[in-house]
Amino acid sequence: MTSNSSLEQAIDKILEKTEEEIVSDLKNSKTTSIQFLDDSLPKLEQEYDQIISNGKKEADKIEKQITGSSDLEARNKQLNIVEESIGKVFTKALEQIANAERSGDYSNLIKSLLEESTKILGTTEVIVFTNSKDRETVQSALSQFSGAELSSETIECLGGVKVKSKDGAMTFDNTLDARIERLKPLIRKDIATQFGVSN
Amino acid sequence: MSAEGGVQYSKIAEIKGPLVIVDDVSNAAFDELVEIETNEGERRLGKVLEVGNGKAIVQVFEGTTGLSISGTKAKFVGKVMEMPVSKEVLGRVFDGLGRPKDGLPDPIADKFIDINGEPMNPEQREYPKDFIQTGVSVIDGMITLVRGQKLPIFSGSGMSHNLVAAQIARQASVIGTQDDFAVVFAAIGVQYSEAEYFRRSLEESGALKRSVLFLNTADDPAIERIITPRVALTVAEYLAFELGMHVLVILTDMTNYAEALREISAAREEVPGRKGYPGYLYTDLSTIYERAGKLNGRKGSVTQVPILSMPSDDITHPIPDLTGYITEGQVVLGRDLFRQGVYPPVNILMSLSRLMKDGIGEGSTRADHGEISNQVYDAYSRAQEVRALAGIVGKAGLTEIDLKYMDVGDVFEKEFLTQATDENRTIEETLTILWKIVSKLPKNEITKIKDKFIDQYYQGK
Repeated sequence: MTSNSSLEQAIDKILEKTEEEIVSDLKNSKTTSIQFLDDSLPKLEQEYDQIISNGKKEADKIEKQITGSSDLEARNKQLNIVEESIGKVFTKALEQIANAERSGDYSNLIKSLLEESTKILGTTEVIVFTNSKDRETVQSALSQFSGAELSSETIECLGGVKVKSKDGAMTFDNTLDARIERLKPLIRKDIATQFGVSN
Repeated sequence: MSAEGGVQYSKIAEIKGPLVIVDDVSNAAFDELVEIETNEGERRLGKVLEVGNGKAIVQVFEGTTGLSISGTKAKFVGKVMEMPVSKEVLGRVFDGLGRPKDGLPDPIADKFIDINGEPMNPEQREYPKDFIQTGVSVIDGMITLVRGQKLPIFSGSGMSHNLVAAQIARQASVIGTQDDFAVVFAAIGVQYSEAEYFRRSLEESGALKRSVLFLNTADDPAIERIITPRVALTVAEYLAFELGMHVLVILTDMTNYAEALREISAAREEVPGRKGYPGYLYTDLSTIYERAGKLNGRKGSVTQVPILSMPSDDITHPIPDLTGYITEGQVVLGRDLFRQGVYPPVNILMSLSRLMKDGIGEGSTRADHGEISNQVYDAYSRAQEVRALAGIVGKAGLTEIDLKYMDVGDVFEKEFLTQATDENRTIEETLTILWKIVSKLPKNEITKIKDKFIDQYYQGK
């Protein structure tokens, strides 16, 4: 009987001690865990901020990509439409020039073109080329330029003259086509402005 | 621009390399634009290099292949080469001569500007002092680029300079201002794949909208390369000084430009200078580099980042050597770092931005920027010495502080220098990493930073 009670007492003591140890361990673990959590909170917050900031960066990047490429696409379409319209205006204008009447003003223009050409070449000893439509006008204007001859060959152009020195070394293209080509960038700008496109 | 055209001459005396010599020429002018017409009616552009005794020497940009003395005609246009400019050039891709390469029409010009530009009046120049953020830590943190500066990148063959160039073009921005920012990118003699990479990279990142690209590929005639940087700078100057934008001009690869210059010089039988380059290489390069800057009373700026690959990694080669005399510092890419797989492989000990001190600090980046940068420079330099020592005595023979410096070197290369090609770091992020590096050292080793900054940013124990 006595031995049983002392055994029970011993067991109780062990249990009590074990319980105390377990409770103490649990307390310690809780404290460590809380400490751990407290310590990792700023780190977590930092990581959270980092993830949010990276996400924002990525979103900004994608937004830039999308807006950039759609803006460009829209602008390019507009450029093509403007160019197409400019082309139409040009074609129409060239048609009108080709069909224009060769009146008195036109013979004055031919004279000034011949004057300009011979001045630039530095001689009137030249051969003049023109289209079949302007041959008569050019022939009559040539009387004022001694040594200048009208070529029997005709050239394809809207109007005006192409002048070549008799030795063949120098040529000056003063046809309307060449003049329009040289001024084309400025004319394009003027037409575009009429369409409301400005830089 | 006038309707008057030029005279066409048909007496070609000689064709020599990229040059055509025209006989019986009167009234031609130096630098005048020339249209060369071949037998087949093909037209090429050129410019007058020399006139006298009834002869004109014409440099043909598109090369003389296929030209013959008989039947070739040269038309002297009566004006110098001009670039049509307007705001519309933004987002466009041009070839090396400034002609559209993107399948779109010619831009409707606001102005036509002589591509040779005019040197900036030194008295009108404003000292550059505003920060440009490239998003590349090593540049922003330690070799800072400022608006109006010319800061070349010295690289070597096969190294990652093109990746760096494209990354800067995509990411560069001005902070703390609402002013417009634009990038003019001139690729000179690059491979087709590289040119495509630049175009795609800007297009996909959405940066093409604020960029202008000039692409002269390796298979384009070498002579075109003389013109490419000039048309690019003409556009940049227009955007900067007429439209008030801050423009970053990236020119890659200037070595190809110098090679083209050498080719013309050899064809003209000029007395060669070092390594066969013409004696006027310095003067010629300065006509390009000196087009960077800011002007008093004007809002915009032109900043230049020319990139050149040093033949045999030789920094004493005439091209980097003469470039270094003109520019305001240099960013040097290191072969060792490149071999280790570090990107961008910038050797900071050989790199320097002379204008950095004026573009950083309170009001532009952060008050501690200059000091933290100096401290890291010093620490990395010491780390290199310690590494060399470790190579002889082994790690076991190093002191505790030596090991800390070795650690600094490793962290510097792995966390600060190394960056993804699409990683855009803010200056704040860059400075945070610099402090992380310095925090590896004990406080008593930090001698270049004021205590108040150490108290604020030091993360060590």
